[in-house]
Amino acid sequence: MTSIQEDDDLVFHKICSLLEPLNDKGVKLTRDTELIADLEADSVSVLDVVMDIEDNYDISIPVNTMSEIKTIGELVDAIHAIKKEQG
Amino acid sequence: MSLFDKFEKTASLYKELLGAGRDPFGVSMEEMKGPMRAIVKGKEIVLAGTNNYLGLTFEDDAINAAKRALEEQGTGTTGSRFANGTYAGHREIESALAEFLGFSNCVVFSTGYQANLGAIAALVQPPNDVILLDADSHACLYDGCQLSGAQTIRFHHNSPESLDKRLSRLDPSITGKLVCIEGMYSMFGDVAPVKEFVEVAHKHGAYLYLDEAHSFGVYGENGRGVAEAEGLMDQVDFYSGTFSKSLCSIGGFVASNHPELEYLRFSSRPYMFTASPSPANIAAATATLKHISADASLRERLWSNAKRIHSAFQQLGFDYCAPVGPVIAVRLPDKQTAFLAWNFLMDNGVYVNLAIPPGTPNAASILRLSVSAAHTTKDLDIIVQAYTALAENFQSALVTTPA
Repeated sequence: MTSIQEDDDLVFHKICSLLEPLNDKGVKLTRDTELIADLEADSVSVLDVVMDIEDNYDISIPVNTMSEIKTIGELVDAIHAIKKEQG
Repeated sequence: MSLFDKFEKTASLYKELLGAGRDPFGVSMEEMKGPMRAIVKGKEIVLAGTNNYLGLTFEDDAINAAKRALEEQGTGTTGSRFANGTYAGHREIESALAEFLGFSNCVVFSTGYQANLGAIAALVQPPNDVILLDADSHACLYDGCQLSGAQTIRFHHNSPESLDKRLSRLDPSITGKLVCIEGMYSMFGDVAPVKEFVEVAHKHGAYLYLDEAHSFGVYGENGRGVAEAEGLMDQVDFYSGTFSKSLCSIGGFVASNHPELEYLRFSSRPYMFTASPSPANIAAATATLKHISADASLRERLWSNAKRIHSAFQQLGFDYCAPVGPVIAVRLPDKQTAFLAWNFLMDNGVYVNLAIPPGTPNAASILRLSVSAAHTTKDLDIIVQAYTALAENFQSALVTTPA
């Protein structure tokens, strides 16, 4: 279902840089990286990063949407979808 | 894959903490020695980890009122008000709270958690309503959002600007907007800029829901909370509170000048499907409310005690999380240090609350101390002595050199 490749997806790169402060273990971030399981982050820290993402793109990502998102790829796809909808 | 696998991560953290000493989340008060002392493992300790800000848990008027209610009305109501009927005491405390706070309507719930859960879940509904929630909100506000099923958008803690941005982004199809904030936040003890939040919320046609669970009885000239301190009681759309802190009982409430608040009685599931508060709980809370209304010296004592502890901590060089107030949280560098420090204070006769991520904002590890009007000079001496020893033994907790 990966329609957009990591290499040329600016959103993917931006998200990775915003998530970097949570990446204490220095794992390689890919679309398949799980936000909570792989980064060993707690859900609140992830939601805090989401607020920065929201302000970066001037969009709102409801908590309800986040509760269905596991991986970086899913988050990136959600942002693309919301940008289209709210933009 | 077992049903219990999901607990493993938390269980191993818990086990790790236990290995370093006592169980910070399982302290057992074997015997109470008044509002601010308890026997724990055979030793008397000073309680500085309560929500008993006004210290009224052992007042004769409330104890006698509760005893009378027990004798006259029995031990429990055995059902919800919606299904099984309302007792006179429920109506009486709703009127008393509405009058004390200056609202036209008040609905009482069985706990503070349920008040927020039940009010939010009933007030907002998908798909046309949205909740905007301060990021540091208490779990019951989050759970209310979840139970409602409505779209929930977090904004940066205590930032009216962050709220403004999010309200501006909303789709015009959104018709109902509810902004949820707290008066005083229980972990760090910091206070919301309620005035700015009211302005932003009302500018966008949103309603303001203010949880004053910790600030009721504590802030404002008459103890009506942060909204009173800022002169905004009539601007708050929904005001929620609890009986389990300054009112020294158990129960919760939501008050409002919107007469539609009454609709909660047949649309809020936590109200409709929980047994109503017991007569003794209601009687104790009603008596304590009278006590608070009549005695402003309680707040004077509380604030003077808070100032004493705060200035002592400042001199010791601790990294505390908010300006002077009844909750004084000291930040520790990590959860292991926080846990050792918590144990150290217990050894020195003081019980405070250990709070670690993800239960705390900004992944902070803190020792949360709550000051009470009932702390005696001796209690405060013991607290200051214990923290002085803490400062000597845990230099990583200090941000400045002791004065």
